[in-house]
Amino acid sequence: MVNLPKKENHDSHHTLPPENVESSVIVEDLIATTNGASKSFKIIAIGLGIMSVLGIIALVLKWINYSDDSTRWGYVAALVSFLLSITGGAPMVAMGPVMAKANWVRPLTRLAAIFSFAGVSTIIVLIPLLFLLPPLVVDGTRRRSIWFEAPNYSPHIWGIIGMVLLLITGIALFYSAALPDFAVMRENSTGWRQKLGKKLARGWVGTDSQWRTLRMRIGMFGTFYFFVMVMVNFLYTTDFAQGVVPGYRDAIYTLYHTVSSWQGGVAALVIALWIVRRNMKLEKYIHLDAFWSLGRLLFALTLLWIYLFYSSFIVFWYGRSENDKATLDLLVRGPMIWAFLAGATFIWLVPWWILIWNRVRKSINGMAIGSCVIIIGLLLDRIRLFVSAWSVPQEFIHQKWLKQIPGTIYPDIFDVIIALGSISLSILMIMLMTKIIPVLSIWQIQEFNLLSKPIKFIKGHATLIAKPD
Amino acid sequence: MSISMIGLFQEATPAADAMDGLKNAGFELGSFDVLTGTPYPEGAFGEHVPQHRLFRFPAFGAIIGFTLSLFLTAATQLAYPLVTGGKPILSIFAMLIIMYELTMLSGVIATVIGIIFESRLPNLKMGAYDRRITEGWIGVVINLEDESRADDAEKVLNYAGAVEIKKA
Repeated sequence: MVNLPKKENHDSHHTLPPENVESSVIVEDLIATTNGASKSFKIIAIGLGIMSVLGIIALVLKWINYSDDSTRWGYVAALVSFLLSITGGAPMVAMGPVMAKANWVRPLTRLAAIFSFAGVSTIIVLIPLLFLLPPLVVDGTRRRSIWFEAPNYSPHIWGIIGMVLLLITGIALFYSAALPDFAVMRENSTGWRQKLGKKLARGWVGTDSQWRTLRMRIGMFGTFYFFVMVMVNFLYTTDFAQGVVPGYRDAIYTLYHTVSSWQGGVAALVIALWIVRRNMKLEKYIHLDAFWSLGRLLFALTLLWIYLFYSSFIVFWYGRSENDKATLDLLVRGPMIWAFLAGATFIWLVPWWILIWNRVRKSINGMAIGSCVIIIGLLLDRIRLFVSAWSVPQEFIHQKWLKQIPGTIYPDIFDVIIALGSISLSILMIMLMTKIIPVLSIWQIQEFNLLSKPIKFIKGHATLIAKPD
Repeated sequence: MSISMIGLFQEATPAADAMDGLKNAGFELGSFDVLTGTPYPEGAFGEHVPQHRLFRFPAFGAIIGFTLSLFLTAATQLAYPLVTGGKPILSIFAMLIIMYELTMLSGVIATVIGIIFESRLPNLKMGAYDRRITEGWIGVVINLEDESRADDAEKVLNYAGAVEIKKA
């Protein structure tokens, strides 16, 4: 008896390619997303607004009460790092895959670029830290830092310049790609949105040379954004973490922080996409393919976390010098071991075993769950790194290595409200931007439809994609 | 009096035919263009692709930066001739860092200026336009010095299958 292969329905385990949508329908649907706001949107926005105000009040009150004790500001420093990672990391998706000419990324670039605006929240929370960070010369002696012979307040000045530059470059990246959509708003919106579109479109009509220079601008600002982002990560990790701990030197730390920032940014983008797709009814524009592709990226970045952590860890582990041991005591096995174990579990171990399954990466809800776990892990990881660094009293700043490991620091009520407030402000800014300009780039979705066609391929289905550039 | 005329097409092929028609009718290259709501692959309409000059900006910026940095590093070291570690006064390896950074900085600033210049924005004189272009229609626009050849242009656009022709 011959065993014949079991006949399966081919479509049961393959996803059908997305159908093309008429350009006029795209314009109508996406312009409609900016008009008006649902009751639940208004309630959430008001709630986030109140939380943002409370967060700023808590920041001021904390400053009034604890401006003389830097050890109590570790959670605020961790929060800046967390916000920098999310709001700085997400826009990378708006340029990285675009430069690699990935078709799936076209519907996502606008949402990724909008994250830049939330950088305002990061800058607000950074302000008190600039006043708490010790100058380069403390008690007449220059402390160990990357700033040899530099002016006394170089870390403070370059820290804030870097953050503001990242915000400006992010907004420039957003605006350079949004010009054609402002022209669409000029022609199709009503009221103040139409006036805004007219003002910001700068006479855009869509000539061949305008499209060519648009591509150049996206490429140029995307490249600048990448450079500035790495620079800001370098400045923040060296000056606001390594610089405040005696004997803490780690060449991999900046790269570790930057790459985990991309990981957090991609995870935040997946969650934002999940919410937008569901609440704005944009299923025909945000396809499974986008989640699937982001899933591969997120999985790779999750594996990179352990690679970079281990590369850094092994140097201290084998080094065994007094400052190596002190660094491990402070950051890994000491008072913040709970944050290390929980952070590693949520940023690497759990998402690794969630995202390893193709079935999960290929599911919209599975990707959203995996991303939520990563965001929690990222917050815990930043707490481990920055709370422990800032827990070192400034009197120890001239020690060759840390001779006395501080105890565990837990957040106070101000820290909790500041965290909720600043995260609320970030979300609020993104939400408000979705009411100013379509959350998905109209011209890029039209381009997506222009260059890709669903076709029947032998017995299956496929998407035929043109790559003319 | 100069006029701007636009022919509106629902499909790409007749728009490309209109571009060919205008070329064959002897209209000057650069006086007509195609307007789209989404970027079509370059040359899809057989349009004239003007040579951009963006590459000149970073090149000139970098040359200026390099020259300045050479002057800065050489002049300051010659003005304050301090021998450090037995090295020559004009120590090339120490100068290279400043020279590299100033060259890059000038190149980047010049690129930003160049991209703003090459974008030709704001476009204060929009000319003939139609909102349906944002909805996927294609516009073939021609700018004429006077009305003498307006009828010829209109004939070409009509022959190619323009759904509507507008003047501004």
